[in-house]
Amino acid sequence: MAGGKAERHGDHVSWFRQPGVLAALPVSLFLLVGFAGPLLMVIGYSFMPPRTFSLDQAPTLANYVSVVTDSYYLSFVWSLWLAVVTVVLLFLICYPIAYGMAKLFGRWANLVTAAVAIPILISENIRLFGWVLILLKNGIFDGTMQTLFGVSVSGLLYTVPAIIFGLVYVYLPFMLFPLVIGITMIPDALKEAASDLGASRWQIFREVELPLAMPGIMIGGILTFILVLGSLAESKILGGQVIVMISDDIESAFTFAQNWPKGSVLSVLLLALSGLIVFVLFRRIDLDRIIGRR
Amino acid sequence: MELSASQRLTRTIIVIWTCVVIFFLYVPMAAIILASFSKQRYFRFPISTWTTEWYTKTLESLSVRDLLWTSLSVALLVTLFSVLLAFFGALAFARYEWKGRKLYQRLVLLPIFFPQAVLGLALLLWFSAIGVTTSWQTAVFAHMIWIVPIVVLIMSIQVYSFDPALEEAAFDLGASRWQVLREITLPILSPGIISGGIFAFLLSWGNFPLSLFSTGADQTVPEWLYAKMVSGYTPQVPTLGSLTMSGATVFLIVVYIAWLALTARSRRMRGRAAAE
Amino acid sequence: MSEVRQPFLELKGVTKRFGQFTAVADVNLAISEGEFFTLVGPSGSGKTTMIRMLVGMDRPTSGEMILQGKVINDVPANKRPTCMVFQSLALFPHKSVGENIEFSMKIAGVDAGTRRKRANELLEQLRLPLDYYDKGVNQCSGGERQRIALARALAFDPQILFFDEPLSALDFRLRKTLEKELKDIHRETGKTFVYITHSLEEAMVMSDRIGIMREGRIVQVGKPHEIYNEPVDKFVAQFMGEVNTLDVEADGADRVKDLASGMSYAVAKMPAGFTRGNLIIRPEVMKIGKGAADMPNKVEGVLFNDYALGSRIQYQVRSTTTDMQWLVERLQDEPYEGGLDDTVAIGWRPEDSILVSE
Repeated sequence: MAGGKAERHGDHVSWFRQPGVLAALPVSLFLLVGFAGPLLMVIGYSFMPPRTFSLDQAPTLANYVSVVTDSYYLSFVWSLWLAVVTVVLLFLICYPIAYGMAKLFGRWANLVTAAVAIPILISENIRLFGWVLILLKNGIFDGTMQTLFGVSVSGLLYTVPAIIFGLVYVYLPFMLFPLVIGITMIPDALKEAASDLGASRWQIFREVELPLAMPGIMIGGILTFILVLGSLAESKILGGQVIVMISDDIESAFTFAQNWPKGSVLSVLLLALSGLIVFVLFRRIDLDRIIGRR
Repeated sequence: MELSASQRLTRTIIVIWTCVVIFFLYVPMAAIILASFSKQRYFRFPISTWTTEWYTKTLESLSVRDLLWTSLSVALLVTLFSVLLAFFGALAFARYEWKGRKLYQRLVLLPIFFPQAVLGLALLLWFSAIGVTTSWQTAVFAHMIWIVPIVVLIMSIQVYSFDPALEEAAFDLGASRWQVLREITLPILSPGIISGGIFAFLLSWGNFPLSLFSTGADQTVPEWLYAKMVSGYTPQVPTLGSLTMSGATVFLIVVYIAWLALTARSRRMRGRAAAE
Repeated sequence: MSEVRQPFLELKGVTKRFGQFTAVADVNLAISEGEFFTLVGPSGSGKTTMIRMLVGMDRPTSGEMILQGKVINDVPANKRPTCMVFQSLALFPHKSVGENIEFSMKIAGVDAGTRRKRANELLEQLRLPLDYYDKGVNQCSGGERQRIALARALAFDPQILFFDEPLSALDFRLRKTLEKELKDIHRETGKTFVYITHSLEEAMVMSDRIGIMREGRIVQVGKPHEIYNEPVDKFVAQFMGEVNTLDVEADGADRVKDLASGMSYAVAKMPAGFTRGNLIIRPEVMKIGKGAADMPNKVEGVLFNDYALGSRIQYQVRSTTTDMQWLVERLQDEPYEGGLDDTVAIGWRPEDSILVSE
């Protein structure tokens, strides 16, 4: 009977016959059909001649080439840049809050968690549109400024800063919660010991806190990075057409341009990039330890 | 706990910062609610005339009722199937030791990282390839691809702290497999199951990118809102938006209260520490 | 006690392998009805695996487990007339004390009235207040939770009650109290108890018979005083705690020679065919100073340490001929008359030492 460690702990239900595998089956099959399947199709389409709509043609690399020649890479550059900026900003904004939640707030931490989590459950579009109403010319902010100070602050919307603001707003929880988990993993005793050995506040932060919170920081950073990379609503709703992000290009290729292979190529490249980053992350993180705190 | 002056200052700054950020999180929602009471067809602040007529118009509109019905049907089915699949998925994730579990953990979480728009488009390709016309039913399928992994994650957090010895003890005391599930496993895991269900419902209810590409001729509320947002704004947008938000909030509160009431006794047994 | 009767629980050649690793190897055991039997062994000795197989949570790779004449290898745990008190107690946190105790009865379909009556009986028997019935289990103290776990198992009315080191997480005083209570319950209920622990001391307090396990095998089975006074090898003897051990070989009739120092010592009884083995002398039978003067076996050394151990004092003496550190324990009212760094004589009577073969 093979199994080794598995049996030592799990053999009590010997009639289940590897319960873990049986339990994993429904989800695995579902994702195989609904996730792996479409994915493979997209990959397949990326090798088809441009502007075709079926998979039974001779494969070609024409689409991949055109990404460079037709300057579709611009949307990649913009998306990457926006992702980096958003991640950095979110880290600076969220770290103090995460620190508070993990160490300072005590019982209030749960309330803060709920307060931050609840907006996620409300449609992204609605929330972004709220910002539109605020930042709009003659919107809430502009109108208030005019009434109170006679100053007009139009031109806030449909700019790059507006997009960044929207991205920071929407993806804040996805940086905050991993950071909280990361900081929770720093035992207070270590900081006290470092202080005892003569380290300054800044040194403690650099030598003790940061390295120990790194799993949480990495998860938060990479999660946010990838989500921003593939985002669409913020740039469209808050930015109009001032920048085009990758997902926007992909959507256009599939719908207006009626060029499925081109859309597929961009998707594949986006996914490859995201996948690479996620893969690097997962290699270095033990999910059991972080989620299960074991 | 004694804090030095600088520590107290840090703490105060952090508290203030947190409050500021939370305030900003809720500001746009307040804006939407404000805008829903404006009489003017296009939005202008300060609001000159206040009215509730848009609410009447929206609630009476048949097309809005269709939208609500579509969104509701999708969300309910997504919740039901996601909770079922994810329950077992979470057990496989966190409870049992088995060969391939680490790989499974990573693969199951993968769809969460996916750009939803791209996923939606890929599914569109997929549906057309297998000859399925998109409708609100295919939207259920599409939503689940993204939502099931999230629910698995949420439930796993609870499952991790489940002590397998409890099931063994119940079994040892004569319970059948089914009785163990009903008397021990499900009650203890119920907070995770409820949380998962809430997330599944609300994430489906408010989802836009996946719905956009998978509903076909049907339309959900977020789709309609987006269409009107970019062209053809009417105050029905913030109105419906406010109604949707209120609906979600009421839903949360009702479920929370129901759960509190149903589990009051068992939570009392577990003591305050375990109730969170 | 008649030995002709069939044993209540019998193990024949029970073996458990996990892949390449053998956790339990060819265990043969016979346990009588109403006995309090304890399996003792260090961690990794296989005792937990053994008990899990007996309860039904694991299946033996080979061998037979026979309860009252019936082979129970294939009987699932929920159909066996056995019940276990888990190490973590596994009390259901979402059910009250009463609901925990009544669980097995509820499963079996017993009506609420009868259940309640039985639960109250058990609460009383285990010295728990009757109003604990509605209390949450997490609000009870460690000792109370032990009793609730025991009540729950007794409510099942098992033929054998198994215990998986339930007291190991408790502090000393609580443990001592509960050990005695467990013994009392055993006597009151007359049920067969099979207990596992890593502490031989704990086993000696409660058990009718003890089985020592090591690396998956049973090394010795016997009554507590047999294990203590007639250990079958060095491992069993040293399991009790610190003992003085010498490597010896036969040196004439009823004499052995210490291989390290070359000195010859008298022994009371030499096993037939003894050539090499260990001479074991427990610290508490050794004499020191004046008391050692007329001991047949003597060693000279330097007293380099003493420790107060509650009611006893432990002296550490380094032998002058070898480097061996001897341990001598005396009661507080029979202390050594001299002081540290004294050259001192220690000794023992031949009949107080234990000789085991290699």
